[in-house]
Amino acid sequence: MNTWEVTTLAERSAEALSSSFWGAAGYLGLAMLGMAGFVAVLGMVLIYAERKVAGHFQCRLGPMRVGWHGTLQTVADTVKLLLKEDIVPYQADKMLHILAPLLMFIGTILVLLVLPFSPIVQVADVNIGVVYITAVSGFSVLGILLGGWSSNNKWSLIGAMRAGAQIISYEVSATLALLVVVLFSGSLQLSEIVRSQAEGWWIWRAHGVGIVAFLIFFIASTAEINRTPFDMPEGESELTAGFHTEYSGLRFAFFFLAEFINMFLVAALTSTLFLGGWMPFHIGGFENFNALMDLIPAGLWFTGKTAFLVFVLMWFRWSFPRLRVDQLMRLEWKILLPIGLVNLFVAAVVVLYGLYFFPVR
Amino acid sequence: MNEAILTVLFYSFAAFSVLLALAVVTSRRILRAAVYLMGVLVSSAALFLMLGAEFLAGVQILVYVGGIVVLLVFAVMLTRSVELLEDRPSMIRKLTGFLAAGSFFAVSVAVLSMTQFPVLRDGARPDSNVAAIGRKLLDYGPEGYVLPFEVISLLLLSAVIGGIVIARKTAVSRATGDVEIMTEIQ
Repeated sequence: MNTWEVTTLAERSAEALSSSFWGAAGYLGLAMLGMAGFVAVLGMVLIYAERKVAGHFQCRLGPMRVGWHGTLQTVADTVKLLLKEDIVPYQADKMLHILAPLLMFIGTILVLLVLPFSPIVQVADVNIGVVYITAVSGFSVLGILLGGWSSNNKWSLIGAMRAGAQIISYEVSATLALLVVVLFSGSLQLSEIVRSQAEGWWIWRAHGVGIVAFLIFFIASTAEINRTPFDMPEGESELTAGFHTEYSGLRFAFFFLAEFINMFLVAALTSTLFLGGWMPFHIGGFENFNALMDLIPAGLWFTGKTAFLVFVLMWFRWSFPRLRVDQLMRLEWKILLPIGLVNLFVAAVVVLYGLYFFPVR
Repeated sequence: MNEAILTVLFYSFAAFSVLLALAVVTSRRILRAAVYLMGVLVSSAALFLMLGAEFLAGVQILVYVGGIVVLLVFAVMLTRSVELLEDRPSMIRKLTGFLAAGSFFAVSVAVLSMTQFPVLRDGARPDSNVAAIGRKLLDYGPEGYVLPFEVISLLLLSAVIGGIVIARKTAVSRATGDVEIMTEIQ
């Protein structure tokens, strides 16, 4: 049986600190560089995937001209975006206009910091992981609100207001669904949550409670990152481009990149909390089967689950029409929230009596 | 080595929060003041983190940055536009402001210098305090906090209900002329 030792970059850096300061600084620099490269490449890959998936859903081919099957298309687009003129509108609040995309990007990067990619690939394993994630995603909301307001444009303002209302509302449901997993695993630490799923993933271990929580979390998170069918904040048919109407060049790239990384984050978090993260598919007691599953490396399990959920998010986009604002609010406050509350209560009962499959405690 | 780094970090966070706090009250653009306020709250969360209170730091950012500052910005967005500046305060307002701030500063410095803080020795602090906080909150013994916890929940519940009552649309019933509260918000 595997013990799943978790080593993080922060731990190694702390170890190095006892001998030399520069060793620790080197680890931190490495982490930053790795993150920057990861974010940039991931953004390009996701944009390419989105365009290809969209194309095939509409019986088109998607990008085909630049490079083999259009693989260099996003590289070209990125270079174009970086070379574009950067415009700050006249009479905009310049400081906030510049700060807003950075804030949104910071919110995204900080979540990436605690994500357990595999037992040996994680930057920091803070013991308040879940609280931390909910906390730092608040920066993204602020970024959107400030970006919309400081542009001094009505479309931007309305888009930002919609985004703010939507994110604040759906955060409630997402947090309720998160709490279900915290109840199950008895920990806020992400690596501990993953390790608690060694006997089976939470989505199927708790008689439907896990599935309901999974669905609520996934829907609410889709709304939180403003993806179709919840993309009123930037509904291009009504608001030009919503909160980032007045952004161009590099600063627009920040918003755009943050949006795509957020999509990855939602998929990664959902798979970490409900589908076991890097934990292979295990069934409690089936030792041989579990050993067979362990042959596939943990990082690959994480990547596979996340990639599948990213595909599901793109699938949503081309399957559902956009909701109206009032429908959106009704979905949250009258459907998701009551179900989430009842589900949390049922989850508490399930945990209290140890009713889930393969109880460990 | 560790000590030196922690000291440098502490003083930079402290200086940062004092400077930003000054900027909050002196800025004439109200939304910028909100952003500076966010900076103050984040650096105080960093100070909590350095004291080993990770949960408190997380909740500080969750509640104050994700909740209060966002609501503040939201409310300001409903009322003001970019070009509007706060009025320059009159002399009397300035004087009373300085007086109030100065006396609050004096009182808090006096109280802080008179209080004896029990200092935890190294190693006396638990590694993970999240579980300890949870137990304390559910403990109904003499050391527990279950009563304040429940009282605060009741307070929040009544505030939520009050909010709903205020936000509800009221309509005048034609037959009786009474004001009746519509059950469905359309």
